[in-house]
Amino acid sequence: MGGQKNRDGKDKKDKDIGFTKEEEILLQDFSRNVSTKSSALFYGNAFIVSIIPLWLYWRIHMVDVYSTLIWFILGTAASTYLVAFAYKNTKFILKHKIALKREEAVTREVSRKLADDKKMSKKEKDERTLWKKNEVSDYEATTFSIFYNNALFLMIMMFFSFYLLRSFTPTANYIFSIGSACGLAALLSTGTQ
Amino acid sequence: MWTSKVLLVAVLSYLTYCKCNEEEGSPARLLVSKHILNKYLVQDMDIVIKYTLYNVGGMAAQEVVIMDDSFPADSFITAGGQLSVKIDRIPPGSNVSHTVVVRPTKFGLFNFSSASIQYKASENAEEMQNAISSEPGEGRIINFRDYDKKFSPHVLDWSAFAIMTMPSIIIPFILFWSSKTKYEAIAKQKKEKNIKDS
Repeated sequence: MGGQKNRDGKDKKDKDIGFTKEEEILLQDFSRNVSTKSSALFYGNAFIVSIIPLWLYWRIHMVDVYSTLIWFILGTAASTYLVAFAYKNTKFILKHKIALKREEAVTREVSRKLADDKKMSKKEKDERTLWKKNEVSDYEATTFSIFYNNALFLMIMMFFSFYLLRSFTPTANYIFSIGSACGLAALLSTGTQ
Repeated sequence: MWTSKVLLVAVLSYLTYCKCNEEEGSPARLLVSKHILNKYLVQDMDIVIKYTLYNVGGMAAQEVVIMDDSFPADSFITAGGQLSVKIDRIPPGSNVSHTVVVRPTKFGLFNFSSASIQYKASENAEEMQNAISSEPGEGRIINFRDYDKKFSPHVLDWSAFAIMTMPSIIIPFILFWSSKTKYEAIAKQKKEKNIKDS
Protein backbone atom coordinates (compact mmCIF):
# COMPACT_ATOMS: atom_id res chain seq x y z
CA MET A 1 0.00 0.00 0.00
CA GLY A 2 2.82 2.35 1.03
CA GLY A 3 4.84 1.34 -2.09
CA GLN A 4 1.87 2.19 -4.28
CA LYS A 5 1.63 5.62 -2.65
CA ASN A 6 5.33 6.30 -3.22
CA ARG A 7 5.08 5.31 -6.89
CA ASP A 8 2.07 7.62 -7.41
CA GLY A 9 3.96 10.49 -5.79
CA LYS A 10 6.98 9.88 -8.08
CA ASP A 11 4.77 9.83 -11.20
CA LYS A 12 3.19 13.11 -10.14
CA LYS A 13 6.63 14.66 -9.68
CA ASP A 14 7.69 13.52 -13.18
CA LYS A 15 4.57 15.03 -14.64
CA ASP A 16 5.20 18.33 -12.85
CA ILE A 17 8.59 18.81 -14.51
CA GLY A 18 6.94 19.56 -17.91
CA PHE A 19 4.96 22.80 -18.03
CA THR A 20 1.33 22.87 -18.98
CA LYS A 21 0.25 24.93 -21.95
CA GLU A 22 -1.11 27.58 -19.63
CA GLU A 23 2.17 27.80 -17.75
CA GLU A 24 4.11 28.08 -21.01
CA ILE A 25 1.93 30.97 -22.11
CA LEU A 26 2.41 32.63 -18.75
CA LEU A 27 6.16 32.16 -18.98
CA GLN A 28 6.18 33.58 -22.47
CA ASP A 29 4.09 36.45 -21.20
CA PHE A 30 6.65 37.37 -18.55
CA SER A 31 9.74 36.60 -20.61
CA ARG A 32 11.98 39.33 -21.97
CA ASN A 33 12.98 37.12 -24.91
CA VAL A 34 11.25 37.71 -28.19
CA SER A 35 10.38 35.20 -30.89
CA THR A 36 12.43 34.94 -34.07
CA LYS A 37 9.59 36.54 -36.01
CA SER A 38 9.44 39.49 -33.61
CA SER A 39 13.20 39.79 -33.66
CA ALA A 40 13.24 39.90 -37.47
CA LEU A 41 10.50 42.53 -37.41
CA PHE A 42 12.45 44.63 -34.90
CA TYR A 43 15.77 44.40 -36.71
CA GLY A 44 14.11 45.06 -40.09
CA ASN A 45 12.37 48.17 -38.78
CA ALA A 46 15.46 49.36 -36.94
CA PHE A 47 17.53 48.96 -40.11
CA ILE A 48 15.04 50.95 -42.20
CA VAL A 49 14.84 53.77 -39.68
CA SER A 50 18.65 53.80 -39.37
CA ILE A 51 19.31 54.19 -43.08
CA ILE A 52 16.75 56.98 -43.63
CA PRO A 53 19.06 59.67 -42.09
CA LEU A 54 21.69 58.85 -44.73
CA TRP A 55 19.44 60.59 -47.25
CA LEU A 56 19.64 63.82 -45.22
CA TYR A 57 23.41 63.58 -44.99
CA TRP A 58 23.78 62.89 -48.69
CA ARG A 59 21.32 65.48 -50.00
CA ILE A 60 21.28 68.26 -47.40
CA HIS A 61 24.59 68.02 -45.54
CA MET A 62 26.19 67.13 -48.91
CA VAL A 63 28.48 64.48 -47.48
CA ASP A 64 30.88 62.84 -49.89
CA VAL A 65 29.42 59.33 -49.78
CA TYR A 66 32.56 57.41 -50.82
CA SER A 67 34.86 58.95 -48.24
CA THR A 68 32.28 58.54 -45.45
CA LEU A 69 31.04 55.08 -46.45
CA ILE A 70 32.78 53.29 -43.59
CA TRP A 71 31.20 55.63 -41.02
CA PHE A 72 27.82 55.16 -42.65
CA ILE A 73 28.13 51.38 -42.40
CA LEU A 74 29.32 51.47 -38.78
CA GLY A 75 26.70 54.06 -37.79
CA THR A 76 23.88 52.10 -39.43
CA ALA A 77 24.97 48.84 -37.79
CA ALA A 78 25.25 50.39 -34.30
CA SER A 79 22.00 52.25 -34.74
CA THR A 80 20.15 49.13 -35.97
CA TYR A 81 21.33 47.17 -32.92
CA LEU A 82 20.50 49.90 -30.39
CA VAL A 83 17.13 50.82 -31.86
CA ALA A 84 16.13 47.12 -31.93
CA PHE A 85 17.27 46.91 -28.29
CA ALA A 86 15.05 49.92 -27.49
CA TYR A 87 12.09 48.28 -29.28
CA LYS A 88 12.53 45.11 -27.19
CA ASN A 89 12.75 46.96 -23.87
CA THR A 90 9.83 49.25 -24.57
CA LYS A 91 7.75 46.31 -25.73
CA PHE A 92 8.53 44.35 -22.55
CA ILE A 93 7.50 47.26 -20.30
CA LEU A 94 4.37 48.04 -22.27
CA LYS A 95 3.18 44.47 -22.68
CA HIS A 96 2.24 44.03 -19.01
CA LYS A 97 0.50 47.38 -18.78
CA ILE A 98 -1.50 46.69 -21.95
CA ALA A 99 -2.32 43.12 -20.82
CA LEU A 100 -3.89 44.48 -17.63
CA LYS A 101 -5.92 47.05 -19.56
CA ARG A 102 -7.17 44.62 -22.21
CA GLU A 103 -7.92 41.67 -19.91
CA GLU A 104 -11.61 42.38 -19.54
CA ALA A 105 -12.26 43.18 -23.19
CA VAL A 106 -10.33 40.15 -24.46
CA THR A 107 -12.16 37.81 -22.03
CA ARG A 108 -15.47 39.17 -23.25
CA GLU A 109 -14.49 38.83 -26.92
CA VAL A 110 -13.28 35.24 -26.51
CA SER A 111 -16.27 34.15 -24.41
CA ARG A 112 -18.63 35.67 -26.98
CA LYS A 113 -16.89 33.73 -29.75
CA LEU A 114 -16.88 30.46 -27.82
CA ALA A 115 -20.37 30.83 -26.35
CA ASP A 116 -21.92 28.37 -28.82
CA ASP A 117 -19.21 25.77 -28.33
CA LYS A 118 -20.65 23.66 -25.53
CA LYS A 119 -18.08 20.89 -25.91
CA MET A 120 -15.16 23.04 -24.90
CA SER A 121 -14.14 22.74 -21.24
CA LYS A 122 -13.76 25.77 -18.99
CA LYS A 123 -10.03 25.12 -18.72
CA GLU A 124 -9.62 25.20 -22.46
CA LYS A 125 -11.63 28.40 -22.68
CA ASP A 126 -9.40 29.97 -20.06
CA GLU A 127 -6.34 28.90 -22.02
CA ARG A 128 -7.77 30.43 -25.17
CA THR A 129 -8.45 33.69 -23.32
CA LEU A 130 -4.96 33.74 -21.88
CA TRP A 131 -3.46 33.06 -25.28
CA LYS A 132 -5.57 35.79 -26.90
CA LYS A 133 -4.69 38.26 -24.15
CA ASN A 134 -1.01 37.50 -24.69
CA GLU A 135 -1.40 37.93 -28.44
CA VAL A 136 -3.29 41.24 -28.22
CA SER A 137 -0.93 42.77 -25.68
CA ASP A 138 2.07 41.53 -27.67
CA TYR A 139 0.68 43.06 -30.88
CA GLU A 140 -0.17 46.41 -29.32
CA ALA A 141 3.09 46.63 -27.39
CA THR A 142 5.10 45.78 -30.53
CA THR A 143 3.37 48.31 -32.76
CA PHE A 144 3.48 51.07 -30.15
CA SER A 145 7.10 50.36 -29.33
CA ILE A 146 8.08 50.64 -33.02
CA PHE A 147 6.09 53.86 -33.44
CA TYR A 148 7.44 55.47 -30.27
CA ASN A 149 11.09 54.56 -30.77
CA ASN A 150 11.08 55.49 -34.47
CA ALA A 151 9.62 58.90 -33.69
CA LEU A 152 12.00 59.43 -30.77
CA PHE A 153 15.08 58.36 -32.74
CA LEU A 154 14.28 60.56 -35.74
CA MET A 155 13.44 63.59 -33.60
CA ILE A 156 16.64 63.37 -31.56
CA MET A 157 18.66 62.77 -34.72
CA MET A 158 17.23 65.87 -36.44
CA PHE A 159 17.61 68.02 -33.32
CA PHE A 160 21.29 67.10 -33.01
CA SER A 161 22.00 67.16 -36.72
CA PHE A 162 20.34 70.46 -37.66
CA TYR A 163 20.47 72.39 -34.40
CA LEU A 164 23.03 71.33 -31.80
CA LEU A 165 25.77 70.05 -34.10
CA ARG A 166 25.01 72.10 -37.21
CA SER A 167 28.45 73.73 -37.19
CA PHE A 168 30.29 70.39 -37.10
CA THR A 169 31.78 68.87 -40.23
CA PRO A 170 29.24 66.56 -41.94
CA THR A 171 31.08 63.36 -40.94
CA ALA A 172 31.41 64.37 -37.27
CA ASN A 173 27.81 65.55 -37.35
CA TYR A 174 26.71 62.12 -38.63
CA ILE A 175 28.71 60.17 -36.07
CA PHE A 176 27.56 62.21 -33.07
CA SER A 177 23.96 62.71 -34.18
CA ILE A 178 23.30 59.06 -34.95
CA GLY A 179 25.27 57.95 -31.88
CA SER A 180 23.32 60.27 -29.60
CA ALA A 181 19.94 59.44 -31.14
CA CYS A 182 20.24 55.66 -30.92
CA GLY A 183 22.06 55.86 -27.58
CA LEU A 184 19.35 58.03 -26.03
CA ALA A 185 16.56 55.89 -27.49
CA ALA A 186 18.19 52.77 -25.99
CA LEU A 187 18.87 54.50 -22.67
CA LEU A 188 15.33 55.84 -22.30
CA SER A 189 13.92 52.40 -23.05
CA THR A 190 15.71 50.87 -20.06
CA GLY A 191 13.55 52.81 -17.59
CA THR A 192 11.02 50.75 -15.67
CA GLN A 193 8.14 53.22 -15.63
CA MET B 1 37.64 97.57 -54.57
CA TRP B 2 37.11 100.42 -52.10
CA THR B 3 40.26 102.18 -53.27
CA SER B 4 38.97 102.24 -56.82
CA LYS B 5 35.62 103.61 -55.67
CA VAL B 6 37.31 106.37 -53.67
CA LEU B 7 39.49 107.15 -56.66
CA LEU B 8 36.47 107.28 -58.93
CA VAL B 9 34.67 109.65 -56.59
CA ALA B 10 37.78 111.84 -56.42
CA VAL B 11 38.13 111.88 -60.20
CA LEU B 12 34.41 112.64 -60.54
CA SER B 13 34.61 115.52 -58.09
CA TYR B 14 37.71 116.90 -59.78
CA LEU B 15 36.18 116.63 -63.20
CA THR B 16 32.93 118.19 -62.03
CA TYR B 17 34.99 121.06 -60.63
CA CYS B 18 36.86 121.35 -63.89
CA LYS B 19 33.63 121.25 -65.84
CA CYS B 20 32.33 124.23 -63.94
CA ASN B 21 35.33 126.19 -65.05
CA GLU B 22 35.27 124.94 -68.57
CA GLU B 23 33.61 126.72 -71.36
CA GLU B 24 30.86 125.04 -73.27
CA GLY B 25 32.16 123.15 -76.26
CA SER B 26 35.02 121.46 -74.48
CA PRO B 27 35.73 117.95 -75.82
CA ALA B 28 33.80 114.97 -74.53
CA ARG B 29 35.13 113.28 -71.43
CA LEU B 30 33.73 109.97 -70.36
CA LEU B 31 33.74 108.64 -66.84
CA VAL B 32 33.20 104.92 -66.84
CA SER B 33 32.39 102.74 -63.89
CA LYS B 34 32.19 98.96 -63.85
CA HIS B 35 30.12 97.41 -61.09
CA ILE B 36 29.26 93.88 -60.08
CA LEU B 37 25.66 93.81 -58.92
CA ASN B 38 25.70 90.39 -57.20
CA LYS B 39 26.00 89.89 -53.47
CA TYR B 40 27.43 86.39 -53.87
CA LEU B 41 29.66 85.24 -56.67
CA VAL B 42 28.84 81.60 -57.29
CA GLN B 43 30.23 79.08 -59.74
CA ASP B 44 27.75 78.28 -62.55
CA MET B 45 25.41 81.08 -61.50
CA ASP B 46 24.86 84.43 -63.19
CA ILE B 47 27.00 87.45 -62.36
CA VAL B 48 25.56 90.76 -63.51
CA ILE B 49 28.06 93.45 -64.53
CA LYS B 50 26.94 96.99 -65.13
CA TYR B 51 28.98 99.59 -67.02
CA THR B 52 27.89 103.19 -66.53
CA LEU B 53 29.26 105.91 -68.79
CA TYR B 54 28.85 109.56 -67.98
CA ASN B 55 29.92 112.33 -70.31
CA VAL B 56 31.28 115.26 -68.30
CA GLY B 57 32.56 117.07 -71.36
CA GLY B 58 30.88 119.84 -73.28
CA MET B 59 30.49 117.90 -76.50
CA ALA B 60 28.96 114.57 -77.41
CA ALA B 61 31.24 111.52 -77.38
CA GLN B 62 31.12 109.72 -80.70
CA GLU B 63 31.58 106.08 -81.65
CA VAL B 64 32.01 104.87 -78.14
CA VAL B 65 33.27 101.30 -77.93
CA ILE B 66 33.28 99.38 -74.66
CA MET B 67 35.49 96.31 -74.70
CA ASP B 68 35.84 94.08 -71.71
CA ASP B 69 38.35 91.30 -72.23
CA SER B 70 38.90 90.74 -68.54
CA PHE B 71 36.83 87.52 -68.55
CA PRO B 72 38.93 84.63 -69.89
CA ALA B 73 36.95 82.22 -72.07
CA ASP B 74 38.12 79.19 -70.07
CA SER B 75 36.72 80.58 -66.81
CA PHE B 76 33.59 82.47 -67.89
CA ILE B 77 30.66 82.01 -70.24
CA THR B 78 28.74 85.03 -71.47
CA ALA B 79 25.17 84.19 -70.47
CA GLY B 80 23.54 87.41 -71.66
CA GLY B 81 24.54 90.63 -73.39
CA GLN B 82 27.86 91.40 -75.05
CA LEU B 83 31.30 92.09 -73.71
CA SER B 84 32.05 94.33 -76.65
CA VAL B 85 29.50 96.98 -77.49
CA LYS B 86 29.38 100.11 -79.62
CA ILE B 87 27.38 103.22 -78.74
CA ASP B 88 27.06 105.79 -81.49
CA ARG B 89 26.74 108.93 -79.40
CA ILE B 90 26.69 110.01 -75.80
CA PRO B 91 25.45 113.60 -75.42
CA PRO B 92 27.15 115.90 -72.90
CA GLY B 93 25.95 115.55 -69.30
CA SER B 94 24.15 112.28 -69.95
CA ASN B 95 24.42 108.73 -68.70
CA VAL B 96 24.48 105.49 -70.61
CA SER B 97 24.56 102.12 -69.00
CA HIS B 98 25.25 98.68 -70.37
CA THR B 99 24.76 95.34 -68.65
CA VAL B 100 26.35 91.97 -69.27
CA VAL B 101 25.62 88.64 -67.59
CA VAL B 102 28.53 86.25 -67.24
CA ARG B 103 28.69 82.83 -65.61
CA PRO B 104 31.90 81.60 -63.99
CA THR B 105 32.80 77.99 -64.70
CA LYS B 106 35.46 77.77 -61.97
CA PHE B 107 35.57 78.79 -58.35
CA GLY B 108 38.24 80.60 -56.36
CA LEU B 109 39.67 84.12 -56.23
CA PHE B 110 39.29 86.20 -59.35
CA ASN B 111 40.51 89.69 -60.08
CA PHE B 112 37.77 91.65 -61.79
CA SER B 113 39.83 94.25 -63.68
CA SER B 114 38.80 97.20 -65.77
CA ALA B 115 37.18 97.39 -69.18
CA SER B 116 38.69 99.54 -71.92
CA ILE B 117 36.79 102.27 -73.74
CA GLN B 118 37.53 104.11 -76.96
CA TYR B 119 35.68 107.14 -78.21
CA LYS B 120 36.01 110.26 -80.29
CA ALA B 121 36.10 113.31 -78.04
CA SER B 122 34.39 115.47 -80.67
CA GLU B 123 32.66 115.07 -83.97
CA ASN B 124 35.71 116.23 -85.90
CA ALA B 125 38.33 114.40 -83.85
CA GLU B 126 40.53 112.11 -85.90
CA GLU B 127 42.20 110.23 -83.09
CA MET B 128 40.37 107.89 -80.78
CA GLN B 129 40.48 108.65 -77.09
CA ASN B 130 41.36 105.66 -74.88
CA ALA B 131 40.00 105.24 -71.38
CA ILE B 132 39.57 102.56 -68.79
CA SER B 133 36.76 101.88 -66.42
CA SER B 134 36.96 101.48 -62.67
CA GLU B 135 38.01 98.07 -61.32
CA PRO B 136 35.62 96.10 -59.15
CA GLY B 137 38.68 94.36 -57.69
CA GLU B 138 39.21 90.87 -56.33
CA GLY B 139 36.24 88.69 -55.61
CA ARG B 140 35.88 85.15 -54.35
CA ILE B 141 33.75 82.92 -56.54
CA ILE B 142 32.34 80.25 -54.27
CA ASN B 143 31.73 76.63 -55.07
CA PHE B 144 28.14 75.88 -56.11
CA ARG B 145 27.92 72.99 -53.59
CA ASP B 146 28.83 75.31 -50.71
CA TYR B 147 26.33 77.90 -51.85
CA ASP B 148 23.58 75.33 -52.32
CA LYS B 149 24.31 73.80 -48.91
CA LYS B 150 23.99 77.18 -47.23
CA PHE B 151 21.11 78.80 -49.08
CA SER B 152 18.97 76.18 -50.78
CA PRO B 153 15.70 75.38 -48.94
CA HIS B 154 15.99 71.73 -50.12
CA VAL B 155 12.20 71.48 -50.41
CA LEU B 156 12.31 68.38 -52.59
CA ASP B 157 14.89 66.67 -50.38
CA TRP B 158 12.85 67.33 -47.23
CA SER B 159 9.67 66.15 -48.97
CA ALA B 160 11.40 62.91 -49.97
CA PHE B 161 12.63 62.52 -46.39
CA ALA B 162 9.08 63.00 -45.08
CA ILE B 163 7.76 60.41 -47.52
CA MET B 164 10.44 57.94 -46.42
CA THR B 165 9.89 58.60 -42.72
CA MET B 166 6.11 58.65 -42.54
CA PRO B 167 5.44 54.93 -43.18
CA SER B 168 7.81 53.89 -40.40
CA ILE B 169 5.93 56.12 -37.96
CA ILE B 170 2.35 56.14 -39.24
CA ILE B 171 1.88 52.41 -40.04
CA PRO B 172 2.81 51.13 -36.54
CA PHE B 173 0.70 53.87 -34.99
CA ILE B 174 -2.38 53.03 -37.10
CA LEU B 175 -2.02 49.32 -36.24
CA PHE B 176 -1.74 50.13 -32.54
CA TRP B 177 -4.63 52.59 -32.65
CA SER B 178 -7.00 50.25 -34.49
CA SER B 179 -6.41 47.47 -31.93
CA LYS B 180 -6.71 49.92 -29.03
CA THR B 181 -10.02 51.38 -30.21
CA LYS B 182 -11.41 47.90 -30.95
CA TYR B 183 -10.81 46.60 -27.43
CA GLU B 184 -11.75 49.85 -25.74
CA ALA B 185 -15.08 49.73 -27.57
CA ILE B 186 -15.67 46.17 -26.29
CA ALA B 187 -14.80 47.22 -22.73
CA LYS B 188 -17.13 50.21 -23.01
CA GLN B 189 -20.00 48.04 -24.26
CA LYS B 190 -19.59 45.75 -21.25
CA LYS B 191 -19.64 48.66 -18.81
CA GLU B 192 -22.78 50.09 -20.39
CA LYS B 193 -24.45 46.66 -20.20
CA ASN B 194 -23.52 46.33 -16.52
CA ILE B 195 -25.01 49.76 -15.78
CA LYS B 196 -28.24 48.82 -17.60
CA ASP B 197 -28.49 45.49 -15.74
CA SER B 198 -28.04 47.12 -12.36
